[in-house]
Amino acid sequence: MKKLKQSQYYGIGILILMLVVFWAVFKVLAPTTFGSPAKLATYMKSALIYAVGGCGLYFICVMGPFDMSVGANIVLSSIVACNASEKFGYAGLIIAPLICGTIIGLINGIVYIKLHISSLIVTCALSLIYEAFSVYATNGKNVILSTDYRAFGDYPVNLILALIAYMLCAFILKYTKIGTYTYAIGSNEVVAKNMGVNVPKYKIVAFTLAGFFFGLQAILTISFGTSMTSASNLSSMSRNFTPLMGTFFGLAFKKYGHPVIAIVIGEMIIQLMFNGFVALGAPTTIQNVVTGVALLVIVALTTKPVKGLVVK
Amino acid sequence: MGEILLRAENIDKHFGITHALDNVSFTFNKGEIHALIGENGSGKSTLTSCLTGIYQKDSGKFILEGKEITATNQVEANHQGVAIIVQEIGTLSGLTVAENIFLGNEDQFTKHGIKNTAAMNKKAQEYLDSYGFNYIDATKVIDDYNFEDRKLVEIVKSTYFNPKVLVVDETTTALGQKGREELFKVMHKVRDTGNCVIFISHDLEEVIEQSDNISVLRDGVKIGSITKEEATPDRLKALMVGREIGDNYYRTDYGEKVSDEVVLSAKNVTVKGQIENLNLDLHKGEILGIGGLSECGMHEVGKALFGASYFRQGSVTLGDGTPINSIPDAIKHSIAYASKDRDNESLVINDTIGDNICLPSLEDLKTHGFLRAKTMNEFANKFAKQMSTKMTGVDQFVSALSGGNKQKVVLARWVGKDSDLIILDSPTRGIDVKVKADIYAMMNDMRKRGKSIIMISEEIMELLGMADRILIMKDGKINGEFLRSPDLKDTDLIDNMI
Repeated sequence: MKKLKQSQYYGIGILILMLVVFWAVFKVLAPTTFGSPAKLATYMKSALIYAVGGCGLYFICVMGPFDMSVGANIVLSSIVACNASEKFGYAGLIIAPLICGTIIGLINGIVYIKLHISSLIVTCALSLIYEAFSVYATNGKNVILSTDYRAFGDYPVNLILALIAYMLCAFILKYTKIGTYTYAIGSNEVVAKNMGVNVPKYKIVAFTLAGFFFGLQAILTISFGTSMTSASNLSSMSRNFTPLMGTFFGLAFKKYGHPVIAIVIGEMIIQLMFNGFVALGAPTTIQNVVTGVALLVIVALTTKPVKGLVVK
Repeated sequence: MGEILLRAENIDKHFGITHALDNVSFTFNKGEIHALIGENGSGKSTLTSCLTGIYQKDSGKFILEGKEITATNQVEANHQGVAIIVQEIGTLSGLTVAENIFLGNEDQFTKHGIKNTAAMNKKAQEYLDSYGFNYIDATKVIDDYNFEDRKLVEIVKSTYFNPKVLVVDETTTALGQKGREELFKVMHKVRDTGNCVIFISHDLEEVIEQSDNISVLRDGVKIGSITKEEATPDRLKALMVGREIGDNYYRTDYGEKVSDEVVLSAKNVTVKGQIENLNLDLHKGEILGIGGLSECGMHEVGKALFGASYFRQGSVTLGDGTPINSIPDAIKHSIAYASKDRDNESLVINDTIGDNICLPSLEDLKTHGFLRAKTMNEFANKFAKQMSTKMTGVDQFVSALSGGNKQKVVLARWVGKDSDLIILDSPTRGIDVKVKADIYAMMNDMRKRGKSIIMISEEIMELLGMADRILIMKDGKINGEFLRSPDLKDTDLIDNMI
């Protein structure tokens, strides 16, 4: 039993079981309005988008810092993608947000390292600036993606792009120095430094990589939603939450060796819950309460920390 | 005199106003194990940390085989032929054994930015097997292994590339008998291949047994070097402290009657996998020693009695029957505990000496519901000085102190709290003879004042020298009980440990 619990497939098994249980519960409660194959495909469309952002955020969170500018990055990168697609077609739609997202990540990383202040404060402050750019870029209006360039909004193209993103994330974590150093810094920064790991450099790399993944998420977001409104007064923060939930799943299941799978299945569970409540006709406020509680319960139950372990 | 391998020339290092190394010069020869000894804070670890890139020296040179070497981190030092095994844990959680072994050296397995994990695992396993540690799986996450096995992985990590100079910094205190033997094997191999081991240890017997030459540092200054043949524990102690210290720092009284009054009682205490059905009584004014091999469960006993052990079964009560089930219970009833793992379990490392000393006494230090900085300062100063803590002031951070002085802060805290019942786990671990003598004197004084002490220790001489009664544990159970007597021999205890 102990061996089974340590097995990498145990974690994935639990996640899949949770997915099935949530589906079954909502299906029983709302048999007509929830969970048909067509509806499931729609839920998963959202899940795969957020999981891309969750993968990006994982690089940062596993080292200890945090990024509160995920939403601002996605808003600005989506607007840039939309504008660029008008001039350069699909090339603009893909390349522009990747550049924009990556640059934002790079700026976050550099400012965080150079100013030596909490990543939470740095990314909140920078979010305000990125949001201001989004307002300038749109003159405060909605931007709408042309119907000619919406292939990434639907199956199978969205799935292909998302799968590429997941594989890239898993590959970087497992088969590059960046992955090893990310975990090393997260485990003990001082020891990692003594082992020759250039800690500031790899923290900047993590923020930049995260930015790249948020750029990818922006492509999927604008293609799926087809329009984007500029943000202000930190309204973009609401977009941080869903990718972050996936990252939590990744962190909670890290010990089983497959964080990316955990992020993706985690996002699916979240989407099942969101849509389950919609199907039940529950008011948004109640949905938020239940989702928040469910997240805490899931992570608490699945991590099973050692008694007495210091958690910060 | 052998051929010189490494020369340290005029090494100087300050930490703030503390002059940690004062123009120190050394030579280390090819094919020798060269011990560095000295009191806590004498500069041994600072010197080797400067050599291995953990600290940067202020001035001076390290010359290895005629070439000056400078390192800004351990991996750079490794590339120049110098490796270190540190006192505390040096492996990283979340990484596999193989990733830990090659951390900072992944490039040999990386092509076009892609790491060949399979090749890395294979190589790591080959190294582990060649050291005889084949039960350690290179592909597993390091967290799957215990402290001692992680230390063995660190030994492989520090020596697989055949360093010219290997620093072993106070590593043996973290290891059990098996681990020590493995470490000594590796040290001898390094010496026998014409390289050099710089060996730092407070265990003078071990130092004389393992080393060819022994150098002494005191207050950042080199005092002298002697050969193994010239060395005796007393001579080394005298060199370290600057005056003669005999073995009489232990108690000299025998046959004193210990009170019958029971102050703490444990009944059928079990902690799964560590302690099994333990029963003991502690009497007023008694020093109760608990000994055994490091994995015998004795360290968990301290935690279990202090209410700090999770999953404890059975009961721990005061003499009047009051149950002790949690740390707040224990502190409220005047029980103190100093853990073996000083840095992680006893001290708030990134805080001042003052705050650390005042921490459990804050309630008593309040005036009209508020804490005053002046009162806290006076309190901390009084007890830090009583323990003769070497410090710039009570506002100094604990992280900047040496091991012995950290322990003094822990003890000052509980002396300040005026606890009646003190559980000391490895009170003199990694501590030099002078501080040891201070701690023993403090314990003896407390005993005379009617305080009761449980002393958990891996050092047999300490148990024989200080305890009124000794319990020897084996496999989680008490395997022998001995009363204080001048006729009691170390072999009597050892027979019950193994």
